[in-house]
Amino acid sequence: MLDTLEEIKRNLQEETKGISTLKGAEQLKIKYLGRNGGVNDLMKLIPTLPVEKRAAFGQQINALKIEITDIIEGLIKKFSSEAIPKVTSEIFDVTLPGKRPSLGKRHPLTQTIDDIKEAFARLGFDVAYGPEVELEYYNFEALNIPSDHPSRTDFDTFYIKDDILLRSQTSTVQIRIMEKQKPPIRIIAPGRVYRPDTVDARHSFMFHQVEGLLVDEGVSFADLKGVLNQFIKTYFGQNIQMRFRPSFFPFTEPSAEVDISCSLCGGKGCNVCSYSGWVEILGAGMVDPNVLKAVHYDGEKYTGFAFGMGVERITMLKYGICDIRLFYENDIRFLSQF
Amino acid sequence: MKITYNWLKEYVYFSLSPQELADRLTSVGLVVADIKPVEDDFCLDIEVTSNRPDCLGITGIAREVAAAVGGSLHFPETPFVTANTEISKFIDIAVEEPILCPRYTARVIRQITVGPSPEWIQKRLKCIGLRPVNNIVDITNYVMMETGQPLHAFDLDKLTEQKIIVRKARSGEEIVVINGARRALFHDMLVIADGRRPVAVAGIMGGKETEVSESTRNILLECAQFEPRQVRRTSRALGIASDSSYRFERGTDPEGVDRASQRAVKLVKDYAGGEIADGAIDIRTGRHETKKITLRMERLHKVLGVEIKRDVVIDILKKLQFNILNDIGNFIDLEVPSFRGDVYREIDLIEEVARIYGYNNIPTKTSITVRGSAKNKYEIVEDTIRQFLTGLGFYEVKTFSIVDISPLQSVNLWSDRVGIDIANPLRQEESRLRTSLLPSLINTKRYNVAHGTEQVKIFEIANIYLAGNKLPQEKTCLSILADTDFLTLKGIVESLLLNLGIPLKQEWTGFNESRLFMDKRAASIQMDNTALGYLGEASRELGFKTLSCLAEIDLNLLIEKSNFAKKYQNIPQHPPVFRDLAIIVDEEVTWSSIEKCITETKAAFLKETNFFDVYRGKQIPAGKKSIAFNLCFQAPDRTLKSEEVDSAQQIILDTLHKTLGAELRKA
Repeated sequence: MLDTLEEIKRNLQEETKGISTLKGAEQLKIKYLGRNGGVNDLMKLIPTLPVEKRAAFGQQINALKIEITDIIEGLIKKFSSEAIPKVTSEIFDVTLPGKRPSLGKRHPLTQTIDDIKEAFARLGFDVAYGPEVELEYYNFEALNIPSDHPSRTDFDTFYIKDDILLRSQTSTVQIRIMEKQKPPIRIIAPGRVYRPDTVDARHSFMFHQVEGLLVDEGVSFADLKGVLNQFIKTYFGQNIQMRFRPSFFPFTEPSAEVDISCSLCGGKGCNVCSYSGWVEILGAGMVDPNVLKAVHYDGEKYTGFAFGMGVERITMLKYGICDIRLFYENDIRFLSQF
Repeated sequence: MKITYNWLKEYVYFSLSPQELADRLTSVGLVVADIKPVEDDFCLDIEVTSNRPDCLGITGIAREVAAAVGGSLHFPETPFVTANTEISKFIDIAVEEPILCPRYTARVIRQITVGPSPEWIQKRLKCIGLRPVNNIVDITNYVMMETGQPLHAFDLDKLTEQKIIVRKARSGEEIVVINGARRALFHDMLVIADGRRPVAVAGIMGGKETEVSESTRNILLECAQFEPRQVRRTSRALGIASDSSYRFERGTDPEGVDRASQRAVKLVKDYAGGEIADGAIDIRTGRHETKKITLRMERLHKVLGVEIKRDVVIDILKKLQFNILNDIGNFIDLEVPSFRGDVYREIDLIEEVARIYGYNNIPTKTSITVRGSAKNKYEIVEDTIRQFLTGLGFYEVKTFSIVDISPLQSVNLWSDRVGIDIANPLRQEESRLRTSLLPSLINTKRYNVAHGTEQVKIFEIANIYLAGNKLPQEKTCLSILADTDFLTLKGIVESLLLNLGIPLKQEWTGFNESRLFMDKRAASIQMDNTALGYLGEASRELGFKTLSCLAEIDLNLLIEKSNFAKKYQNIPQHPPVFRDLAIIVDEEVTWSSIEKCITETKAAFLKETNFFDVYRGKQIPAGKKSIAFNLCFQAPDRTLKSEEVDSAQQIILDTLHKTLGAELRKA
């Protein structure tokens, strides 16, 4: 019997050497002093002993228990005090800087796209995607831009092969969605687009666009103005004014360029808005009947509008960024600002 | 298109300041990009969209002003007196390609005096950025700027055989054009030839040999219409563009040809003297067919969402010089003027009405139907990943999809086929679609190191482009570069998978790609027999001063396997029992084989097996290692007895011994 007691003590002493954490010490406490622990197991032996030996054995167990408790509690105290430092008499400087965890950031262009998606989601627009390497048909013909059309000059394009290209606009997604679905349609399509422009502060051969499309019965130009007005107020702020100007896109008719009042100068005129008080932020218009025809929609029954905006441009305006190249250099000192 | 304020005033009456005029023009779609005071005038730079070639002449812009502000138009009269000699005495003209040249007119003026043009012409040309040359050239330019119709003057005496033939170029022919460029001509190009050789590239530029010079006495004034696509193609093929080709490409007014010719002849007579041969040569295939369109008022209201009164609509169309044939009831039948080639459908008329009515006078409606929209799985996964990684201190980057063809950028972890080349790249540096995001992340790290940020944790979500059948396969990847060790990045990826509801049942096996990874320190990750991705320590050859790890993961597969359905599991009521064990095994024995072996014992109440340490040292025999792990046992309905755990633990140890030769490490 005494051997058993001695063995338990030796085991404990051996085990404490390997304990280095509070959790370990607590586990040790359960192992030796818990309901199914070693000491309790010994207690259970008492009824099996002859009556005259019971008292002495009980005392021995109690002595062991006190000894073990001292050792383990000592350990627990030791590790607890390491986890919570002792209060000292030194003056605690509450003005020392906090230990800030380092957080990363979404890319500013992602933030803009997410904000645009969020604003349009509230208006019931789903998000759609399409391929970046496209058939010429989706980038041009289906969008009412036949080959050799003078407006092709406005759409210089990277080609892979004769009829395969890198999309120069996200309008391609319009066609792909309309080919698959019947009206009503309400989507926005963010993504990368490509144009062979030499890179400088204002141009990049790759940039991002968000395209929007709504087709249904009874959709009018007035609705287009309504939806874009809602978006502009949500995204840029309630005090921002909107202006529509006639323009030309082969895939919309009537077509418009949409300006917003310059948020930097409040419309008074500054170098950001070229002293006009207005900055152009998107192109829009009613879906051209030829486009509806290309996807076999009944243009008499359904009308719709489409719009497109440049993500870089909007982000540059929002934060006052003057060089588009910053978005692709990915300098952490740039990325960490947003 | 540059115009001057005073020049415009000659053709239309209005009382707006230059700034007011600019605002008004902008509001009807002619954006005035710039107003510059020049001497006693103002130069307005107007952006003319490609559908409006009629506004590439100042009279066209005058028509827009008249429609927008209501002023009257007055275009110059062109009376002139001709001599008795018939033009046919001096020139013989044939058009062999009537489809490519629907109209060709010529007039001859003899005994002219070439010299500087009058001050007022020179001044106006200079105002809009044209360099005065001599009176003849300046007059052709002036009339082109006035009417939008290009003209060309030949030195009549330099045309061999007194002939003009509008024909296709013959093989081997070439031309030196006025700007000095020499170009070989091809059979599909339209030229103006004399009896011997091409003397102009039709609609694009005249030839040097027959241009008007100081010694020129007699001229042939060409004024024609060329098929736009032909001009565009030839101009692009030759790399020669001009004010003339710019206009022909967009389409000129078939009825404006002779008027422009007469206007130019009148100015030549006035400012270069000479006598005008009687008559004109005007070779024309068919008449211009006047287009007739019906506008339904109901449709107009439906498309614009505003009821514009019928008389307002008619007034706008009339001011734009549409000829109203019938305006009874809700239909308006009309004829389109010849200079508006862009208008041929009802929708085009609706745009015309909206433009002049004013887009800003159309109401801003908020009556679209309510519709709910939920995020799709793609968005949810992307958002989750971005949130997760940025929370861990990673920055999202965006790098170019088009890259160079260096060995590093040619890395392709997913396919044996090479990347897809751009047929018309701008530069070598951007000539191929990338097959991996990792080289771009490596370059991004290099950029940051060079700019003072030594340590980076970055990721990108973007497509790579793998050669496919017709269109390439666009595989969306999540790629990560982190200045951490292998197991830290692996842990991040594992946590990410768990966060997306994907259980950790992937197989990690050794993988080599020496351009990216350290030898024997990279893995390919398989899930359900499909490649999920690759992860490894960055190759030392990349020259980083920090230990970096790279991972590229197939995002589409993550989306497919992600599972956001959650069901609550009861929190266990009874405490778990933990057992820490250390076993000694051969170096070759992997953790995954140990884990698999333990799991396969199906030991009673075993809930988790957690690795915590690998140790090699004095106490461990050579070629062996000690692996320490923690077993967690738990029963749902009661507290386990230690004998139960002991026996389960023994089964596990026995199996490990039998299967992997593992020995329990004695303390």
